[in-house]
Amino acid sequence: MIKKTFLILTFIFYSNLYANEDAAKTMVHKLSLSAGSKAIKQWERIFSSIKKMKRYKIDTLNSGEKEILKEYLINHAIDSDQPTVAGI
Amino acid sequence: MNRYILIVLMFLVSIDAQATDDVSEKSLVQELLKEVRALRKEVDSLKADRNIKQKELVQEVQTIKKAQIENAQAIEDVNEYTEEVEANSFKDKLDFGLGFKTNLDNFTKKYASGRKVSSNNVWSNKLMLNMKADISDDMNFYGRLSMFKYWGTSNVHKYTYYDNMQGRAPSNSALYVERAYLNWFLFQDSFLPLSFTIGRQPSSDGPSNQFKDNVLRKGTYSGLLYDGAADGIVLTANLSTVLDNPGTYLRLGYAKGYAYNESENDVGNAFIGASNNDIEDTNVFGVFLDTTIPNIDNSLVQISYSRMIDIVANPLDANTTENENIGDVDLYGAMVEFTNFNNSNLDLFAHYGHSVAHPNGKGYRNYGGLLSSNGDTSDKSGDSIWLGSRYGFGKKQRFKVGLEYNHGSENWINLTQGSFDIYNKLATRGDAYEAYLMYVINRYANIRLGYVNVNYDYTGSGWFVGESKKINSSVDNADTTVENLESIYLKMNVNF
Repeated sequence: MIKKTFLILTFIFYSNLYANEDAAKTMVHKLSLSAGSKAIKQWERIFSSIKKMKRYKIDTLNSGEKEILKEYLINHAIDSDQPTVAGI
Repeated sequence: MNRYILIVLMFLVSIDAQATDDVSEKSLVQELLKEVRALRKEVDSLKADRNIKQKELVQEVQTIKKAQIENAQAIEDVNEYTEEVEANSFKDKLDFGLGFKTNLDNFTKKYASGRKVSSNNVWSNKLMLNMKADISDDMNFYGRLSMFKYWGTSNVHKYTYYDNMQGRAPSNSALYVERAYLNWFLFQDSFLPLSFTIGRQPSSDGPSNQFKDNVLRKGTYSGLLYDGAADGIVLTANLSTVLDNPGTYLRLGYAKGYAYNESENDVGNAFIGASNNDIEDTNVFGVFLDTTIPNIDNSLVQISYSRMIDIVANPLDANTTENENIGDVDLYGAMVEFTNFNNSNLDLFAHYGHSVAHPNGKGYRNYGGLLSSNGDTSDKSGDSIWLGSRYGFGKKQRFKVGLEYNHGSENWINLTQGSFDIYNKLATRGDAYEAYLMYVINRYANIRLGYVNVNYDYTGSGWFVGESKKINSSVDNADTTVENLESIYLKMNVNF
């Protein structure tokens, strides 16, 4: 039982160990993009058009990278959910 | 003779040769002339072509120039339009966001006497109009107008009159100002940026309540210690640069927990507010440190201390002969929270709270004093823990499951009376369990099916007045003292 629990916990902790956020940040830097410069809908529009992706050189990425980048840009878009805390 | 003949012949031959040469020269010249003519013709034709092309080029350049002028005009028009849009955008000084919750609760209460009461099919809505204004580079404003009501009734709940519960407890369909504060930023380019937060504070829905709503952090202070509206002023010092650790902030806060305000103090038409010799205002002072654990993304650690001075027995009772200041309370807290721990889709949190009540011996009617009986001045200490986790399944994390547990001791007291959950489970003197399954509909909306079970070991959870007593069948008012509360709920939450 303990072994099973340990295995499950190990699976949970390490099932998605790849740091998507870091990879996305690297891509953003490399492509000179700024997530906060556009709204969620605008980023979605860019990723739905090959022509628009070309303009931002996003077409040079593979589909997995595109997905990670899209998620990051949308999560940090100008109209994305932001923490609400005093003084920040 | 022969010689003459030979000479004549030679002469004739030479004349003939010369004639032949003349003929070939002529034909060569003629050919050359022909070629020259042909070349001239070709040159003429090329010239003509060139002229045509030149003309065409000139025409093309003219067309391009014309197009350029037209384009410039079009760009000018677009610029004008963009400026108009920009101007309108600047004119919209306030941005609005929507928060909307629909709740279906099914409660079962079990009293100490053994009696059971169920309230099923209880529906409620909460509307939140979130406002934001970027006033200038060094100032912004946030606000929230809230309506929280049960379906089918607009009765004003008596708790609505508690200042910290306005818009937080189900009542009528009125919009209450749950938040309204200015952030004023100072020395932003220095090594120690400061800011003042002035007004009705973001003191509700704090960490780690955000996991259940599937949103980012929506309040400043640990949800185990504080939850509700509060008017005050907070100085935030950003220590991230000084301590070389991102997300490190020191906050010093002052809030007014209660202010006496009766018409007897009016001067003419001026409603000048509190001044009463019998009841002092409740003042709250606090110090809070937020920080992160190095090398762990999305972590939050918060350590806090606050003191509530001159707690008023019943903020709704204007009868100064009965109402009293009943003492002070110290509240200590520590919490740690991990969002998407190690990119594992797992969120974890642990909160600890310690309260020390200092009753002054004064009591309110026959209810008693601060966590004590009338005349008792001994300190009352309480503790509480709140543990929880949430896990999202799959890459898209459409389904999430969450578990929470909290335990409070006999004299645990906190400031969560304005909690969104209407049973204020984090004030429990006993044990509370909650499990839920969430379905994320889209980026902005989710549905949550959950179960809460609260076992009360002691009376008066969440109340400052009165001695806390062990709950059993022989406790006073056993037929109205809740021993166990169960709720099966379905909630829909939209945050846009």
